[in-house]
Amino acid sequence: MVTETLTVMDPAGLKAIGAGLAVGLTGIASALAEKDIGSAAIGAMAENESLFGKGLILTVIPETIVIFGLVVSLLIIQ
Amino acid sequence: MLEPKQMSRAVIVGHKSIFEETVAALHKANLFQIEEFNEDNSGLRIGRSFENIDDVSKKLVKIRSIASLLGVKDVGTKKQDPKAVVSTLDDTLNRLDTELDVKTEQKGKLEAELKEIDSLKKELLPFANISLDLNFYRGYEHLSVFTGYVKEDVGVAVSRITSSYEIFYDPKGGTLVLFVTKDKSTEIADLLAGFGFRELRVPSISGIPSDSLSSITSKESGLLKQIEAIDAEIESLKDKYADFILASNEVLSIEAQKSETPLRVATSDSTFIIDGWVPDEDFVELERIVKAATNGRAFVSRQEMTKTDEKIVPIEYNNSKVAAPFQEIMDLYARPRYKELDPTSLIFISFPLFYGMILGDIGYALILLAIAFGLKKAISSDAIKPLMNILIYCQISTLIFGVLYGEFLGFSLASLHTDHGVTEGLIKGFATVNLLASPVGGEMITFPVHRTHLVMTMIIATALVGFIHINIGYLLGFINENRKHGMSAAIFEKGSWFVIEIGLIMAILSYAAILPSFTTIVGVVVFLIGFLMLLKGEGIKGPIELPSLLSNSLSYTRIIAVGLSSIYIASTVNLIAFDMIWQPGTPIGVATIFAIIVFISGHALNTVLSIIAPGLHSLRLQYVEFFGKFYEGGGRKYNPFGYIRKYTEE
Repeated sequence: MVTETLTVMDPAGLKAIGAGLAVGLTGIASALAEKDIGSAAIGAMAENESLFGKGLILTVIPETIVIFGLVVSLLIIQ
Repeated sequence: MLEPKQMSRAVIVGHKSIFEETVAALHKANLFQIEEFNEDNSGLRIGRSFENIDDVSKKLVKIRSIASLLGVKDVGTKKQDPKAVVSTLDDTLNRLDTELDVKTEQKGKLEAELKEIDSLKKELLPFANISLDLNFYRGYEHLSVFTGYVKEDVGVAVSRITSSYEIFYDPKGGTLVLFVTKDKSTEIADLLAGFGFRELRVPSISGIPSDSLSSITSKESGLLKQIEAIDAEIESLKDKYADFILASNEVLSIEAQKSETPLRVATSDSTFIIDGWVPDEDFVELERIVKAATNGRAFVSRQEMTKTDEKIVPIEYNNSKVAAPFQEIMDLYARPRYKELDPTSLIFISFPLFYGMILGDIGYALILLAIAFGLKKAISSDAIKPLMNILIYCQISTLIFGVLYGEFLGFSLASLHTDHGVTEGLIKGFATVNLLASPVGGEMITFPVHRTHLVMTMIIATALVGFIHINIGYLLGFINENRKHGMSAAIFEKGSWFVIEIGLIMAILSYAAILPSFTTIVGVVVFLIGFLMLLKGEGIKGPIELPSLLSNSLSYTRIIAVGLSSIYIASTVNLIAFDMIWQPGTPIGVATIFAIIVFISGHALNTVLSIIAPGLHSLRLQYVEFFGKFYEGGGRKYNPFGYIRKYTEE
């Protein structure tokens, strides 16, 4: 006799996965963007140290992506 | 307060006979920035350095080379009288120079000797185990001498070729000394080549090698001791003359700076014209100083500032002492331009405010406050002090928000009672007080504010804070634009944003049924008017930037997001230490120590993160979201002609 087991996805678990994806993927996206800007900024700073401020600003601009990811994941978990 | 210092363009004119006095007076006053003169068709020429420049620069080169040779460090010493320094300068410098010369020469000789001995030692070492006088190695007519390394003892092989030979072999080092008759030398050489023979040079001294070696070693240690003694003497020279070197370097640098001034100034055959900048408030003082130094023979006049002048005016901040550390943050971005608002005083409020809102933890505030005060005391560097002051301001704000949030190293101080159960607090019997129900997310606003249970409310609240901050930015932009391009440009470029915002708010509020429904249309109309104004003011760039109104406000939600991440790191550390490894109340043992180690190192890590993350994000909110609305920057630093003396008195 074949027994059939019925599995149900737990909505809370799915929410947690969604929240995790929101943070994780946006984190990767920020990292990809910041990697290029950061290395270029360091290159520029090696030429001219007074560019530190501008380099820093430009480097942290993509940080917004992961912040939005974090906010969205908080909204999902609520 | 919100503006850089007012500056005047001043020109100082006089006869060349009072040139030096004028320059000396200006240098001492340290409030006049010389504008470099470029030769043009006016017939004026760049001046020539004062006569003493050769002498001064020669001495300066000497003193700097001595300083680098001795490794004199910049240290705070007692200030000396420059006159005394000048009067003894030549004698002392010569004495120091000759003393140092003697020492370095002695040292050089000893070092050369040491090198020679070292190479002799290297030559002797292979022969150390062969006790044969080195004189016996040379001077034969019918004998060939082979000295060198071989892989193994060749005695047996040699005896097969000839019986008349004498062999010495050191099996340890593989050194071979072989005496054979000349006629067999070719055969022996071939044989030795088969054993991997490598020739050794015989040292050109006499005596038993092992004896010579021991005498050389003792000689070497003697030399080393002598060199050490000379090094110590040089070190004592450094201690003795460090103050002199630092003071005379300063005096000479000042002299050189003065003597080279004519190279930056316009002159004719008999007059000089110094052009430059002085803060408005100091103009009278400058005039008085120059008059006093030259008996009124030099003339100081204030020039009308032209439009091109405004672009090159050097900028000096004009902030209260309390807000001054934040000038560092301004300089990191760019100095304001002359007609621009200087937002330092606003940063002074908003930077620590956002930092505190993000971190908001009593424990970290106290730790970082202690670190900041400690570093400020330990390091007297002028570069570190403003940064530490900024850190202190930030921690005070963090402390206030820490009390508001009721957090200590990631623990909540107060327990929270909700429908879902009770969240324990650190202090027994201290429970949150319900204040009012939040309009969003069905949350209850309490005191202390439990951030982790008020996420929705905090997201909305921080976005609102951002909205207000951005609008302050637009307001400043309006003022800046009004100054630069007049009222109509200001209204179209920056005022249009306010019109757009009012339109949007009206439309949203009536959509949410707070305002009557007809205001929707009014709101849309107002929005469209604003949109057209923006289009006129900024061109196509304006509408493209329209979504930034939303994205910039939402960007301020990082205040709660980064704050929560900091709380979660801290509470995870607490959970690992005091729940997983060791529960308070259970017997104390090895696990307790381990838990404490995890607790300390985890919070040490989070303390470092607590400077970086809130600091960077707070800074970014100023630079990107706030400054983007009004600030251009790019002013030149005001750098008056003069010198800040460290080692000598004025």
